[in-house]
Amino acid sequence: MAPKVFVPSPDRPPPVDTSGPLVWIRRNLFRDVPNTLMTLLGAYIAVTFVTAVVDWALIDAVWQAESRRECLDLVGRSGACWPGVFVWFENLIYGLYPKDQVWRINTGFLLLVVWMVPLWMPRVVSKVAIGLSAVMLYPFLASYFFLGGEKGLVWTALIAAGLWGLIWVWATALTETLTGKSVGTWLIGRLGRSGADEATQMRIRRGAALALFVVSVLLVAPAEFVEVRTQFWGGLFLTLVISGIGITFSLPAGILLALGRRSKMPVVATLCTVFIELFRSVPLITILFMFNTMLPLFLPAGTEVNQLVRAIVAVCLFAAAYMAEIIRGGLQAIPSGQYEAATSLGLGYWQTTTQVVLPQALKIMIPAIVGNFIGLFKDTTLVSIIGLFDLMNMARAVGEDSNWLGLFIEPFFVVTLIYFVFCFAMSCYSMNLERKLSAGRERS
Amino acid sequence: MTILPDQTRPPAPSRPALKALNDARVRSAVIQALTLLAVFVGLWWIVSNTVANLAVRNMSAGFGFLDVSAGFGIGFTIIPYQEGDTYLRVFFVGIANTLLVAIVSIVLATVFGLIVGLARLSDNWIIGVVARSYIEIIRNTPLLLQIIAWYFGVFNLLPRPRDSIELGAGFVLNNRGFYLPAPVAEAGLGAFLLLCGAAVAGAVGLYLWSNRRLEKTGQSFPALRVGAALVIGVPALAYLALAPVSWDMPELQGFNFQGGTSVPPAFCALIVALSAYTSCFIAEIVRSGIQSVPKGQLEAAGALNLPPNWTLRRVVMPQAMRVIIPPLISQYLNVTKNSSLAIAIGFPDLVSVWMNTSLNQSGRAIPIVAMTMAFYCTVSLAVSAVMNVYNKRVQLQER
Repeated sequence: MAPKVFVPSPDRPPPVDTSGPLVWIRRNLFRDVPNTLMTLLGAYIAVTFVTAVVDWALIDAVWQAESRRECLDLVGRSGACWPGVFVWFENLIYGLYPKDQVWRINTGFLLLVVWMVPLWMPRVVSKVAIGLSAVMLYPFLASYFFLGGEKGLVWTALIAAGLWGLIWVWATALTETLTGKSVGTWLIGRLGRSGADEATQMRIRRGAALALFVVSVLLVAPAEFVEVRTQFWGGLFLTLVISGIGITFSLPAGILLALGRRSKMPVVATLCTVFIELFRSVPLITILFMFNTMLPLFLPAGTEVNQLVRAIVAVCLFAAAYMAEIIRGGLQAIPSGQYEAATSLGLGYWQTTTQVVLPQALKIMIPAIVGNFIGLFKDTTLVSIIGLFDLMNMARAVGEDSNWLGLFIEPFFVVTLIYFVFCFAMSCYSMNLERKLSAGRERS
Repeated sequence: MTILPDQTRPPAPSRPALKALNDARVRSAVIQALTLLAVFVGLWWIVSNTVANLAVRNMSAGFGFLDVSAGFGIGFTIIPYQEGDTYLRVFFVGIANTLLVAIVSIVLATVFGLIVGLARLSDNWIIGVVARSYIEIIRNTPLLLQIIAWYFGVFNLLPRPRDSIELGAGFVLNNRGFYLPAPVAEAGLGAFLLLCGAAVAGAVGLYLWSNRRLEKTGQSFPALRVGAALVIGVPALAYLALAPVSWDMPELQGFNFQGGTSVPPAFCALIVALSAYTSCFIAEIVRSGIQSVPKGQLEAAGALNLPPNWTLRRVVMPQAMRVIIPPLISQYLNVTKNSSLAIAIGFPDLVSVWMNTSLNQSGRAIPIVAMTMAFYCTVSLAVSAVMNVYNKRVQLQER
């Protein structure tokens, strides 16, 4: 009898790959016949589209020419004719703003960036105050940069308040980053009065603020810019001004309207509801038309209302009504337990609203709020219909220039890119925020 | 732990008028009275200014002009209109055109949005990427820009009628517009429509019956397939048998096409841009609706061994629809409102013929603006009333 010998069974085949690029491709692109067909279809669409755009915009394009006729003679319609856009590019951005004054627009927007930088500095604590100051004080400063002209006493004071705000923001940002103290506390410390009683310290703070204001007035008073009337405003600059004002106005107004609509006082609730529903149910263009034709009728005879102001008023009211409904959605999502808890702590209506309810409501509605801002930014194109030369209307004007007659697609392409960059950036930011905010709640 | 005594303040001197304000009811009454007063004063100020301004400009705010002949032509109408017709007629022409644009765009946008939304959810990577790029590009550019780009960039640059693009079956595209065959009623039309109606009614009845039987006995019946066969088959057979309509084909005669029916390039541009733009939003709505159904529901359906198409039809869709319908309807309202952008490319919709041309011709700003707003408000309030009823029926009952 032969001895029992251990014979190993033959090796099992190695497991099928479960990871790696090839597996990924097989699983996501060529799993079965329908899937493969879909992949081919998708690839075909993507390749056709991308090559068509690249061919037209880069490979077949004309980069140097004097007129559209020249472009057409060179490549016909198969390639883009960029020189027309180059010639008009400055107008697309700044409108008909005098060329030697364009630096004022640049400075104005640069100031906004400078103002907002502390919001992203990690050690700065007073971010809410800085944000608020940007909304409340920056517009005065910017509007003088953009508009210029004679400034009376009140106007000077307001612009000085803007400058005051800017200096305060950076003083706060610096002291908080470097010493961890607010400006006032730091100043008192430097003066060696940390031990002084509260009233004295308050007096020092107020005195310093007042001194700073006097300095700003002295700085502002001699500065005098040439007036650039709003008829010359246009292009991307005008688009940003209108949407900027719309955005700044719509948030606070929307909050008030939403609170009003949910108010227990029937008169207030009805008025707010009527306003919101009226403005939400008609198209923006009818509101623009209405303000354009009827605002002069509504005001006392002889009052001149600038066309830009009419458009801005219409956009602001429209945006506020939409914002109100978004905020109301957020308010409704707050569980009633929160209200009850606030009441049991003895908080009044405004304390409950500002300290408990609104922070939570605004936080959950951030994506929708940003979405509304994007919509507003896109909707500003409608002011072109009542004759303002915003970014889109400027692009259309290129094709009516006698040198570049009929050149529509190229400027529209560029302008589309500009709009896309702005809107896509905003939507990415909001998605990013959404992900950050929901990080604690998500369960996967 | 010691309890510190409250710092006692001297009692505030009592003033009866201010004390009353501490009562919430009194305070709210006072606030409301003040608000009302402010609103009335504001309105009075506006009205008195307007009356004065109208008197100065010799304008009238009445509706008397509605019977007056408008005296201008309209490029495209779907209800009969001649140059001598009244302003009231112009108003209705505008409404009809607006509704036509809205309805056609809504149908196209829904179909296309559904396709793109499903493509976005596809587990095929490249299809997902293509769908996502499409959505992001279209959604992040202004609608007005797209409408104008389609108009000036595409439909205006089409060839002349002589070199038109023939799409076959009598559909022709050129720079004068889009030509399509027009149906002409023949003798059998009544019977044909009757048969179609009967087929649809039969299919609906069959569906309801099969649902009831399923709930009662658990036996299923392929109602969808049979119903689809009925709805498609009966009209097809009836069409062949009865020949209810003949087609009036567009023909090139001289410099232009005659016969058939046609829509102007502005209409095409508007429809394409509106439906492309709206389809992106609908796609996102469809996607979020389907994704909102919790995974557990699918797993539960799997545990019950439901076949995949049942899972989709009986488990996923009913729950997804609850999330999809409300924003979908609000998109439909948006289409109706956005159709007013037609004015930018000269398509005669309500805003264009009424708020622009008629207003400039007649100078009656107030009644014209009021009527336009009333139309849009009516549409939107009617739709939201229906929506509220629907939401009440469908929403889950919670605490």
